[in-house]
Amino acid sequence: MATEIPSETDATSRREQWLDWFDGSLFTLVVGSLAVTVAGGLVQVSFGAFSMSIVEAWQAVFDPNVVFDPRAWEAFLLGGEVPEMNERSLIVWNIRLPRVFVGALVGMNLAVSGAIFQAVTRNELASPFILGVSSGAGLAILLTLVVFSGLAAFLPVVASVGGAIAFLIVYAIAWKNGTSPVRLVLAGVIVGTVFSSLQTALFFFADNIGVVQSAIAWTTGSLTGTDWEQVRMVLPWTAVAMLLALISSRQLNVLLLGEQTASSLGMSVEKVRFALSGVAVLAAAASIAVAGIVGFVGLIVPHVVRNVVGSDYKKLVVGCLFAGPALMVAADVGARLALNPVQIPVGIVTGLVGGPYFLYLMRKQEQMGEI
Amino acid sequence: MSGERRSETTGERRSETTGERRKETTGERRTDPRTNGSSPASVDEPGTTVSGRGEADGRLDGEDLVLSYPGSDGPVVDGESITAKAGAVTALVGPNGSGKSTLLKGLADQLEPDSGSVLVDGRAIQSFDKKELARTVGLLSQESTSPNSITVEDLVYHGRYPHRGFFESTTEADERAVDRAIELAGCGHLRDREVGSLSGGQKQLAWIAMVLAQDTDVLLLDEPTTFLDLRHQLEVMEIVETLREESDITVIVVLHDIQQAARLADEMVALEEGAIRARGTPEEVVTEELLAEVFEVDAEVESTPRGPRIEPLRPRHDDDRERPTERVARPDSGDS
Repeated sequence: MATEIPSETDATSRREQWLDWFDGSLFTLVVGSLAVTVAGGLVQVSFGAFSMSIVEAWQAVFDPNVVFDPRAWEAFLLGGEVPEMNERSLIVWNIRLPRVFVGALVGMNLAVSGAIFQAVTRNELASPFILGVSSGAGLAILLTLVVFSGLAAFLPVVASVGGAIAFLIVYAIAWKNGTSPVRLVLAGVIVGTVFSSLQTALFFFADNIGVVQSAIAWTTGSLTGTDWEQVRMVLPWTAVAMLLALISSRQLNVLLLGEQTASSLGMSVEKVRFALSGVAVLAAAASIAVAGIVGFVGLIVPHVVRNVVGSDYKKLVVGCLFAGPALMVAADVGARLALNPVQIPVGIVTGLVGGPYFLYLMRKQEQMGEI
Repeated sequence: MSGERRSETTGERRSETTGERRKETTGERRTDPRTNGSSPASVDEPGTTVSGRGEADGRLDGEDLVLSYPGSDGPVVDGESITAKAGAVTALVGPNGSGKSTLLKGLADQLEPDSGSVLVDGRAIQSFDKKELARTVGLLSQESTSPNSITVEDLVYHGRYPHRGFFESTTEADERAVDRAIELAGCGHLRDREVGSLSGGQKQLAWIAMVLAQDTDVLLLDEPTTFLDLRHQLEVMEIVETLREESDITVIVVLHDIQQAARLADEMVALEEGAIRARGTPEEVVTEELLAEVFEVDAEVESTPRGPRIEPLRPRHDDDRERPTERVARPDSGDS
């Protein structure tokens, strides 16, 4: 008997913890986000140049010959020959759905990356691109397209590497007996300003309008033409980054207590801050590699989620995992279909949605800025 | 509820033990000024609290510490040594900018000394692993910030950070420590409240609970009563008194209020411009001369059973420098 009692209380407390973690607001957010993502995805597969009825499109999505065919998934996720399927299934599964998946993964990466940077800089207005990542990637993109056009095939990789290098430069500039959130943000502004100027200067050397359009698509973020190849490219990094973000949630929470408290609680603040920034840059770089620099998602989603579930990162990261894809997939519906047949970069839509939402928040909330 | 119960018990305990406690921790002093030497019977009684538990851990030594901030000119604390006896309460007092908080940061290893060393039970503080140190020495900083939406309980659980591995979830020991800390800090009724909704005083109790949950041998408190209303000041002091009497934790506390420090501390250390000007029991340190020289105030000090009582009269100005401090004791003669 005596040995049973502790295990019972242990079980109840663990159940309580589980319930506590999975509270109502987070549940609502997750379900709502999933609904938006699925609805957006279904709209995406239903419309396009190849005309088919909505019913036909949905039948193709849930086509058991594809969904339960391991060979098809092998082809999608590992590359190789796509097994034979009817034309509608081919259009839906090979052209329209991958774009939805890429959008969802990009949204996830940007949202979580933004959430991490907001904790690292202890600033609610931080985004995945606050520490120079976007300007570094943008410069790398322009350099590739305009100067080193031979590297165009490696553009995704070059863009990500450019972002990561800019981040390291920012860290080096900010470092002086350690860093601080304010110094990091200032260094980000410095590097961002210089790199953006160089990037703009490079536009003058572009040979033709095609190069400029391509550069704009990359620097504003676009999902046009994404394929299973992009899914394969972004999926492993996303999995790694999201897993790391989830298990780091407690570190993020302690970091929110301020450097001094975190340090006196035994955290090696500098190491943790650099490691967490690294995870966030990894997620941002992965999204840049497939979609370019999509703005606002990483700024707004953590904000929305925080308003719903509070600032506990155990819940916040989970919320971002679902809310990021919802915004991104929904925005891409607008980007692809609003001005049909012209497709606009999804980054323009997220900016158009994000700006007014931020205005609304600014009017509604008394205090903004510090978490 | 638990807070009220606690305060009753400590109230009784305090009146019983104050006399004895003074003697053990202050060593050879045979007569206790608090009782005006009228209770000689208690002199030979065995220690009821700290020394009664044998050799307690938690002795903290700072040796020849030179502390400065990066980018500032000259050290803030210049080659001072300080010892906090295991299980005792040591109060650091001094005027603004005297280096109290800096010294505390140095002792907590939050500020690396230019030279000198800090020893915990004789072991150099640098040889501790970061988390190991956080399990040994706890520090409550002057300004603590937290997200508003965190609950008091969650905040206190963060105090268990150094006790948990990277992947570990909370254990029963964590729960026990958190419950104990919350009860000790008397904030059980705030447990599920969000920190953002608390008053300054309530917040401070929550933060104290967090640092108590760290379960350290040494506790460093940086001006824990500043900016609090009178009631919460007394609450905080009561927590420290409880720690002094019921646990063998070593406390070093920076206090602005000399009166509070005198009441709370076994040992007092007075700093001025980064140098230690006096150390010893409250009775030894809190004198009219010291108040005049270090704090630059004219004050009357009266010995009472509750320790020295200070009545500040007026600030001293530069032209008062030459004035003998004896005259300070008679306020009427000051302004002739």
